[in-house]
Amino acid sequence: MKMLIAEDELDLQQSIVTYLKRDDHVCEVASDYLEASEKVALYDYDIIILDINLVSGSGLDVLKTLKKDKKKAGVIIISANNSLTDRLEGLDLGADDYITKPFHLAELSSRINAVLRRGKYGGDEIIVFNEIRIDTKARTAYIEGNTMALTRKEYDLLLFFISNKGRVLSKEIIAEHLWGDDSDLLDNFDFIYVHINNLRKKMTSQGAKYIKTAYGSGYKFIED
Amino acid sequence: MTKKINLVKKASKTFLLTGVFLVILSSIVLYVFTRDLLENEIEEVLRSTEYRVAGALKKNNTVYSLPPVTEVHEVEVLGEEIIKDTIIYDPSEDEMELFRELSTYKTINGKIYRITIRDMVVETENFLYAIVISNIAIFILAFLLLFYFNTTRNLKLWRPFFQNLDQMKRFSLTSKAPLALMDSDVLEFSELKNEITVLTNKVRSDYESLKQFTEDVSHEMQTPLAIIQAKIDNIINEHDINERQFEQITSIQKDIQRLKQLNKRITTLTKIDNNQFVNIEEVSLTDLINEKIESFKELQFANLVYASKQEVTVSMDSYLADILINNLVSNAIRYSKKMEEILIITKGNLLIISNFGEKALEHPEHLFLRFYRESKDKHSTGLGLAIVKKICDLYGFQISYQFEVDHHIFSIDFTKELK
Repeated sequence: MKMLIAEDELDLQQSIVTYLKRDDHVCEVASDYLEASEKVALYDYDIIILDINLVSGSGLDVLKTLKKDKKKAGVIIISANNSLTDRLEGLDLGADDYITKPFHLAELSSRINAVLRRGKYGGDEIIVFNEIRIDTKARTAYIEGNTMALTRKEYDLLLFFISNKGRVLSKEIIAEHLWGDDSDLLDNFDFIYVHINNLRKKMTSQGAKYIKTAYGSGYKFIED
Repeated sequence: MTKKINLVKKASKTFLLTGVFLVILSSIVLYVFTRDLLENEIEEVLRSTEYRVAGALKKNNTVYSLPPVTEVHEVEVLGEEIIKDTIIYDPSEDEMELFRELSTYKTINGKIYRITIRDMVVETENFLYAIVISNIAIFILAFLLLFYFNTTRNLKLWRPFFQNLDQMKRFSLTSKAPLALMDSDVLEFSELKNEITVLTNKVRSDYESLKQFTEDVSHEMQTPLAIIQAKIDNIINEHDINERQFEQITSIQKDIQRLKQLNKRITTLTKIDNNQFVNIEEVSLTDLINEKIESFKELQFANLVYASKQEVTVSMDSYLADILINNLVSNAIRYSKKMEEILIITKGNLLIISNFGEKALEHPEHLFLRFYRESKDKHSTGLGLAIVKKICDLYGFQISYQFEVDHHIFSIDFTKELK
């Protein structure tokens, strides 16, 4: 997939690029408003990651031009501003998702995949990973044609793993993804282990041993 | 603290006390002075009559006697002159009357006479009373009139002061409504008004810039945090790190998460201050609590018990309602062990959340202050309850905390104060 990351903080821009390149995406960057406008006008992207506060202008203006030119790119806004009005303004202008800084790159990656799915298949997409097939519309996962009886959290967890396959996910990141802010109430993340173990059992019973433990307290979804 | 008294009342009181004092003093002075005057007058009359009687005796040698007014007796020896009061029966009025009596001894034509002259005192006493009473009456009337005019005048004169005082009482930092201060032609009041305006404007602008600063700081922190977060995510995936390093890095992530929470809460507080939550709708607390319990159960908190489920609806911003319930419940969760029941009750217009506690808080009065933590729980931002209080204040809900029978009890009364 071809992506544009319009972010004026170069450190953040480069980190995003580094993370996403591991999924074999083609990543281009824009470091200010003019560069972003120019690139959006000249080229087509599958996904544009757009910072609202660009040095020389607003990311929302880039979004407006994009929509005016009827470009099909999926747009994810990243902003330091998390007020509901800003969020709504961005989404009303046609952005596909909105994510507030600071965020985990795993979260961004997961959102990118969701946007890509919706953009391509009109919300009715099947994700296939070897013998695993996930119907995202029906929110059901199958292994070799057999339905896996997953709870809501186990399903979300599986999707999160597949969106970040090959990468280490710490318990903290997983907890934050699944439970958001409430996860900071927890003294320890042992219960994540319970959820992961359940998912793992349901998968390995069908021979799918993809969830590996990394560094004792992290997890990784990889092919053998 | 001494008892406070209203300005106009105090001025009136001084005025009235002065009045009473003046009435009493002037009446005494007038009484004493007039009485002496009248006594002198009577004495003069007595002496003048005595002189005439003596003159007549000298001339005619006849003894005039008209008891009890005039009595002349021939006596053997000279005596002392005496002036005294005496009581004599008055047949015309059929009662005893007070007379002033002058007895002198005179040698006229070789004979010694005792001349006694008497005059009725009653009339002079009546004068005395008439004068004193009319004086008192005039004084009281004058004072009442003066008091009335003085009070109304004072009220009018002080009106700008009272009105501005009233405005000051209503002054609120968070409200943007300008103060409707009243100007006055009295120099001091006008100055006071100007000073209040300057002062309140200064306070407001300082408060605004402080709020702006808080918001800016928490906003500006987001980007560096995002960079740190992103870099950490890459370090975990790119480099060969060992288990110990991974633990340290994930611990850094926890700290980032804390800062993120802190930022979010400061922003929420600032937004409530800035009145940015204006969407008021009917929120069903019962539904909201049921939802919360479900989502907390997923996080393995099965100890939440919704005991009494009376339907309670509140008109407020639904986002704030969510924060309100969430903060109260997570506060209870944070300070109780997994097995201890957390009781949630909705009843009438009340929401009650209670959890077990070994002992009462040491400083319950600080409970709702920003960054106050009763224990050194590092997970707590110290802002959760401050936000709860702020939300309650915004809508005029009454929140209270008690410690009863080994339980921390938070209750919110959603009955809005009638203002």
